[in-house]
Amino acid sequence: MTRFDGEEAAQVHRHLHAHLPSDPALRVKALESLLVERGMVAPETLDAWVEAYSEHIGPMRGAQVVARAWTDPAFRERLLANAAEAIKEFGFEGHATGNLKAVANTPTDHNMIVCTLCSCYPFSILGMSPAWYKSSEYRARAVREPRKVLEEFGVSLDPEVAVHVWDSTAELRYIVIPERPAGTEGWDEARLAAIVTRNSMIGTHRTLTAEAE
Amino acid sequence: MDGIHDLGGMQGFGPVDVDHGGHVTMADWENRMWAIARTTGAPDWTVDWWRHITERLPPHVYLDVPYFEKWMLTYTTGFITSGVFSAEDLLADRDPTANSPDAPRHDLTEVLEQLRNGTSSTRKDIPDAPRFTVGQPVRTQADVYADHTRLPRYARGRTGTIIAHHGAYLLPDLNARGVKKHEHHYTVSFTAKELWGAEASAVDTVKLDLWESYLVQTG
Repeated sequence: MTRFDGEEAAQVHRHLHAHLPSDPALRVKALESLLVERGMVAPETLDAWVEAYSEHIGPMRGAQVVARAWTDPAFRERLLANAAEAIKEFGFEGHATGNLKAVANTPTDHNMIVCTLCSCYPFSILGMSPAWYKSSEYRARAVREPRKVLEEFGVSLDPEVAVHVWDSTAELRYIVIPERPAGTEGWDEARLAAIVTRNSMIGTHRTLTAEAE
Repeated sequence: MDGIHDLGGMQGFGPVDVDHGGHVTMADWENRMWAIARTTGAPDWTVDWWRHITERLPPHVYLDVPYFEKWMLTYTTGFITSGVFSAEDLLADRDPTANSPDAPRHDLTEVLEQLRNGTSSTRKDIPDAPRFTVGQPVRTQADVYADHTRLPRYARGRTGTIIAHHGAYLLPDLNARGVKKHEHHYTVSFTAKELWGAEASAVDTVKLDLWESYLVQTG
């Protein structure tokens, strides 16, 4: 039974940090070996999970959702109304997207996602989060000086363009729908999806171009 | 708890180490830790207890160690404080030939199917009517007494506007102690000036998803 005692957790942390080897790879190896020895998990199952997230679940999923929102106005409406339901049309529902909100950029509004308290992220449609998203720098600064942070990503905004920072403090996760670039008229979904960057769906990239990076 | 994890608005951090790529590369041990996190745990853990364990890391460790090392320390501390194994068990020598014969084996197809079926939400209909409505101004609580809360320091005692009501969700402050209570839940928009002062942009906003007990009526 879990005791839910924060003081006890703090004591265990101090004990572990003092006694475990300092190399994180050895720390994780020690944990995996014990879990395997106890019959709690099979190494082959861990292999399959690693493969799922490194090869099959990633930002290409979100890009497909964005591309359809650009080409199908009825889908865009469904996506903006209830993104958790709309992504089921692709079979992309899953980890951390049971409550999902899509926020659309416009010429006058820019949206940007952060989780200041931990590192909440819509895994089933964007895959693993980039290191910067989980960094102290981004988490501390995105809410206070979003324009400076955006400059570091190469995004310069006019002062009259409003920046809306969504701090993922609860179960709700977010995806930004960037604006469709000019010069892509008549493109099909697959071609459009190829120019949607991961960062544009987090809001640290704004102006997509007709050529993929 | 006013912990080190509550980073929003904290000053003194340097530039963000930006990248523009689509593929996230992770070390083997990071992938292993992620996979362990997806497949193990104690039956009565809650996501908020798990977050609170991370929040209880010594502050210097929280800032210093790599991200997935924090996960290792969190899971390990979780297992120990749930009585699954002891710190001594973890630190003892291992049998290198152990291969977990009874643990379930899942291949990629099964894992992808489990992921799709793993979508979840704690949203629930409750008899109590919501106290606030969309468009209403509200102020956040200035003081927080819970060990775990999702009301960040930078947004306490501030006035914002309700822009969405989402129904009732499990209150994290109690869920972190294993107590299940649903409460109405809202998105609140704050102007940058309200949060950061007169020099902030006149058009920027910050939106937070907040529970009803985090909010008080204004005026």
